[in-house]
Amino acid sequence: MDRLSALLGLPYTDTVVVAGALVLGISAGVLGSFAVLRGRSLVGDAIAHSTLPGVCVAFLVTGTKEVAGLLAGAAVAGLVAALLMIAVERSVLRADTAIGVVLSGFFSLGIVLLTHITATGDAQQAGLEAFLFGQAAGLLERDVAVMGAIGLAGLVGVAVLRRALAATLFDRAHAAALGLSTRLVEAAVTAFLVAAVVIGVRLVGAILMVAMLAVPTVVARQLADRFGRVLILAGAVGAVVGVTGALLATRAQLPTGPVIVLVGVVVALLAVLLAPDRGVLARRARRARRAREIALGRALGDPAAASAGARRRLVRAGFLTEDGTLTPAGAAAQEDRAERVALAMAWLHYGPQIRLRDAREPDLRDVRRSLEPDALTELKHLAGLS
Amino acid sequence: MDVVEIAGLTVRYREAPALWEVDATFPSGALSAIVGPNGAGKSTLLKAALGLVPADAGTVRIAGAEGRAALANLAYVPQAEAVDWDFPITVDEVVAMGRYRATGWFRRVGRADRAIAADCLERVGMGAFAHRQIGRLSGGQRQRVFLARALAQQAEVLVMDEPFAGIDARTQADLLDLLRGLADEGGSIVVVHHDLAQVRSVFDWALLLNVRALGCGPVAETLTEDRVRAAYGAGLPEGTPVWTG
Repeated sequence: MDRLSALLGLPYTDTVVVAGALVLGISAGVLGSFAVLRGRSLVGDAIAHSTLPGVCVAFLVTGTKEVAGLLAGAAVAGLVAALLMIAVERSVLRADTAIGVVLSGFFSLGIVLLTHITATGDAQQAGLEAFLFGQAAGLLERDVAVMGAIGLAGLVGVAVLRRALAATLFDRAHAAALGLSTRLVEAAVTAFLVAAVVIGVRLVGAILMVAMLAVPTVVARQLADRFGRVLILAGAVGAVVGVTGALLATRAQLPTGPVIVLVGVVVALLAVLLAPDRGVLARRARRARRAREIALGRALGDPAAASAGARRRLVRAGFLTEDGTLTPAGAAAQEDRAERVALAMAWLHYGPQIRLRDAREPDLRDVRRSLEPDALTELKHLAGLS
Repeated sequence: MDVVEIAGLTVRYREAPALWEVDATFPSGALSAIVGPNGAGKSTLLKAALGLVPADAGTVRIAGAEGRAALANLAYVPQAEAVDWDFPITVDEVVAMGRYRATGWFRRVGRADRAIAADCLERVGMGAFAHRQIGRLSGGQRQRVFLARALAQQAEVLVMDEPFAGIDARTQADLLDLLRGLADEGGSIVVVHHDLAQVRSVFDWALLLNVRALGCGPVAETLTEDRVRAAYGAGLPEGTPVWTG
């Protein structure tokens, strides 16, 4: 840690915080991904909130704020809450209701216990509030070691179980037919969530922890289509978010947990908007481009009936003169379009009769270029086009 | 020889029986269909055979094995309803899942297994899509991938639940050709199918089901007009040719 401190040029205490944020980011990113991909981020939120009474009870029992003991309490409470949610959901309520009830119940209990501990004026109690909103101050090197050990155990679990988990999350019925126990997988996803929450709750706090579970996977999913890559990216994004947030917070003297979470939310927002393929802007652009193509094609088909805007675009493309006659290029484009439309119609009609070499279907916008040559010849023959 | 033997299979959802003392056999090396009206228990039969829904009574033997051991002998293509199409997984990864039972859940998928998976993908005409995310395929292409995943299992019996529902005509024809070819090479295939005319023209064997088994045997003997009318009752759509052969 001293060497790391020298490397980063940070004071020792800040280095501990950055190391903690790194461990937290990687672990929460990877371990939280399964719940997020399953659409169960809120279970993570409920588990995080539920750790509070566990921390308080652990403090009351041990009388110290040794982090390992408090985290053990957090883990037990988180597990109990998770089991309770599953039980409640199985018996009477819907999942979202079960989550809401368990979350608020446990959290209220935690607040009551916390207030009680504060009221008794135990000198040692200063610091338990850290588990609400997270706190960098007072984080020790051995706390980070505990976090790292839990994280490492979780990552090993992921490495061992990832294939079974992916199979079940993707296609439950098929995974069951392969002999996988759905319950086992559910238990593993829950255990990973508890581990991630326990790692993060000291630094980020019970209330904000869900962001660290969700953000990395949201970003990773925007950028990757393979499960393994999503896992690795989620870990990397979590690490970057954690470290950046921790550095910013220590520089600016701001609360660490909220700053880390804010950094994460900004990164997630950017990924949702700007991701090259799945991003909102990329999708918008694709749709707009398609709409333009279609509009231009229609205008070219019948320039006289086209709107003023569409005609202007035809003029700009060099297909139409200002006085509304087709240029030679325009005439060629018009003919080309007519041929493409005819081929598309022909494919819709005769396509099913034509054998293809594999499952690749032609793009109806341009059958000529996307259909294999033999099939194209056959199609033209069937449709009487030459 | 019978590769699937079902005896006295009874399944109840709440009180109503979904399957009632069903006896049925499916021969090896044949293309077999399970037909019957909506609500006849066709999917339930498959799920009970797989142990995905609990049976109240009865036994299912698959290639001589019962219970969980039987799972090793079959490859299942489920209805696509429970699939998360946005899941980050590519076509080749999906097909590789077919090898998980052989490789185990923890070891790496080796080169031989990857070759088997790639070969199965080619057989369904999807080689060009190996790196595509599964959700970016058409319905027919997805069904091809699921068949490839099942083929990759190299199991004794291939079991498919309504594989042609909502699928384009070309995929239907291609997959049916493929299944017919597999059966001709000695493969055993059981398909839940709703198209009686197609069952009559392409399949070898049929189980006619409406909660009870109303017939099980070679298609021509099983799907007689009387039996089909009895199975479908008023549920047979007006003008459906009951017997076209």
